[in-house]
Amino acid sequence: MKRTVMGTIKVIPVDIFKMPRGITLTNFGYQTITIGQLDYSLRFPIVTPDAIVEINDRLRHNQAAYLSHLTVAEIISKIDQAVNLWTHPDYPQRRLAMKLLPQITGYNAETVELEIKRFIRVFRKKELMRFVDSELDQPEILDDFHPQKSGSMTKAFGPETTFHVFSGNIPGLQIWSLIMATIVKSASLGKTSMSEPLFPVLFDQSLAEVSPELADCLAILPWKGGTMNLEEAATSATDATIVYGSDTALDAIKELVPKSKIFLHYGYKISFSMIGREALTPEYYLQTVKQAIEDVAVYDQQSCLSAQTIFVEKGGTTSPLNVAKLLASELANYQLKRPRAELTNEQAAAVVRLRNDYQLKALNDSDVQVFASDGNTDWTVVYHAHPGFVNSPLNRTIHVYAIDELEQVPEYLQPFKQYLQSCGLAVKPTRLFSLANQLGRAGIDRISALGEMTRAKPGWHHDGHFNLLDLLRFIDVEQNTERAAEKFDPDVE
Amino acid sequence: MLLKNQVALVTGSSRGIGATIAKQFAKEGAIVAVNFVKHQERADQVVREILEGGGQAFAIKADVRDPVAVQEMIRKIKDNFNGLDIVVNNALNHYTFNPKTRKTDQSITWQDYQDQLDGNVHGSFNVCHEALPIMKSQNRGRIINMASNLVEFPLIPYHDYITAKTALIGYTRSLAAEVGAFGIQVNAIAPGLTYPTDSSVETQNDVRESIINMTPTKRLTVPEDVAGSAVFLASRLSNNVTGQCLYVDGGLVMH
Repeated sequence: MKRTVMGTIKVIPVDIFKMPRGITLTNFGYQTITIGQLDYSLRFPIVTPDAIVEINDRLRHNQAAYLSHLTVAEIISKIDQAVNLWTHPDYPQRRLAMKLLPQITGYNAETVELEIKRFIRVFRKKELMRFVDSELDQPEILDDFHPQKSGSMTKAFGPETTFHVFSGNIPGLQIWSLIMATIVKSASLGKTSMSEPLFPVLFDQSLAEVSPELADCLAILPWKGGTMNLEEAATSATDATIVYGSDTALDAIKELVPKSKIFLHYGYKISFSMIGREALTPEYYLQTVKQAIEDVAVYDQQSCLSAQTIFVEKGGTTSPLNVAKLLASELANYQLKRPRAELTNEQAAAVVRLRNDYQLKALNDSDVQVFASDGNTDWTVVYHAHPGFVNSPLNRTIHVYAIDELEQVPEYLQPFKQYLQSCGLAVKPTRLFSLANQLGRAGIDRISALGEMTRAKPGWHHDGHFNLLDLLRFIDVEQNTERAAEKFDPDVE
Repeated sequence: MLLKNQVALVTGSSRGIGATIAKQFAKEGAIVAVNFVKHQERADQVVREILEGGGQAFAIKADVRDPVAVQEMIRKIKDNFNGLDIVVNNALNHYTFNPKTRKTDQSITWQDYQDQLDGNVHGSFNVCHEALPIMKSQNRGRIINMASNLVEFPLIPYHDYITAKTALIGYTRSLAAEVGAFGIQVNAIAPGLTYPTDSSVETQNDVRESIINMTPTKRLTVPEDVAGSAVFLASRLSNNVTGQCLYVDGGLVMH
């Protein structure tokens, strides 16, 4: 309709894939995104299992010829240069990302801009150095043999090629995995989701500006998740597979990965926060509420790091019920500030169903109260006067549980143990580590301040495990070998 | 409807707060003149939205700093609708609220002040000068001048802007004292940081959040908030209120 009223529309081609030089693809699909008078035509390859094998062979070759010869310090420095490009507001790739990502993902444009700006800075040189240091006492062990306290000389090897299966829930998150693999000198074959196929491609373009040879060690393309023959080809051709996504996606791929190969997975997780009474004093309660909502509202709870449930301790100046009401107001304010994404019918139905269930319950049970946005599903707070634990249908929907003592929280977490991940915690210093210990036992792997839950720091143990170490294998040259070698030195007497 | 068939001129209403006021007035039944100086397309878009919603509006070009252009604009409105009931002086010289690039006391020039005075005060003067004779002969009229809460709380010292807005409040009071006898009410609205608009989009997130933290309602002002108060001051709900400045800033400034 707009076309006839406002005249012609300009078409801008955008490739949402990136191949190493020397790979020629001939069959393409297209998807169009319209923004104002511009049509962005997103082009992606339609590939066969043979093509996947060919791409992997090329990556393996490039890894051997180039990436395997770089030192970790050189790799970090090149990534840093690419990251630096992204800190300029006028950088074309950044501008394109800021323009297209809100359209592709539905997330509020300002949220995308702020979060990408924050996120990209996590990969600056100093941060990557901290990150590598946190997992490897001697990062140079990836470059050469280094003496160990045991007496051996040891070197670490990453996979030559790694297959990444990305989810599309959080824009940009894919590069975390790509950078990890690159640091351990692995080439990467990244499968993106059509719900966010753009950012890793743009970042690889930045790497190409800094070092075309390094960019040639990455191949990124989307295909429909569950395309068995492609995923089988990718898992058997590469040395390691890293999967992000739902339990079903995970299980399907796990079946395909040969037992001898590395398989890492990051699946469905539940995070929550705990507000101690000491954070609900007159000078702090408003700030506490605001920070708690930041953890809920950023990316509409789609991140596994977002709070789904909030425990509020009794005995503060502000009662848990009042905190629930304030959380509701803050969600309303946030909706004005940065509106939530439009939901699919299915997502909206889940929120409506939850509201109906609890509103019905509230009729006969004064211990449950529902606070919700009028006439839409923008935000929902379900208040429970008695403690419990339940996950949320997401999209700015939270449960608030009143609890006598935060120390009682772990007993309600047990049924969810395998899914627990982050906990946003607001308590005084004397309780922090005893609570952290309890939470660790209960299965939580990360504790952060309120308001910081969705922003994991470099060096964290993702889902409780190492990032780099799990990709590495080590070779030890025992001291006796060295001694024996000395004997064979023709000049030795 | 609170403004049924009243004729309203909103200056600088092709975008931002002005556009929202124009739309809100139209919803309340007013016939709205959507004034613009540069952005014909955007003014047309505002008019189109109003018409699609069943309201009445038309776009009209005039640089409020130019007395002749204003005279011509007001004449056209009067000729077509036989009156003018409400004026909102919302136009200003384009201003970017960017705390990082604002001019400090030594880098700002008198010309910067002059430009803001021209856009805000001289612009309002030109419009009122032409509108008041019509309102006087109707024995009723409402004038609303857009000020800013920065006048009371110069959180970030945008010198030229704040000086001009302060002058506009003086102008509002003085004019109210003169024309009240003709049944004309003159008031001002002082919004807090209104986000998002073209002017405020460069105010960085950290600054916005620090304002939010100080604000009792814990949020910034949105254009719809300002439009609501404009409807109040334009309608019978504010009868016998004149010479006032209404702060729409979530309670950041209190009197």
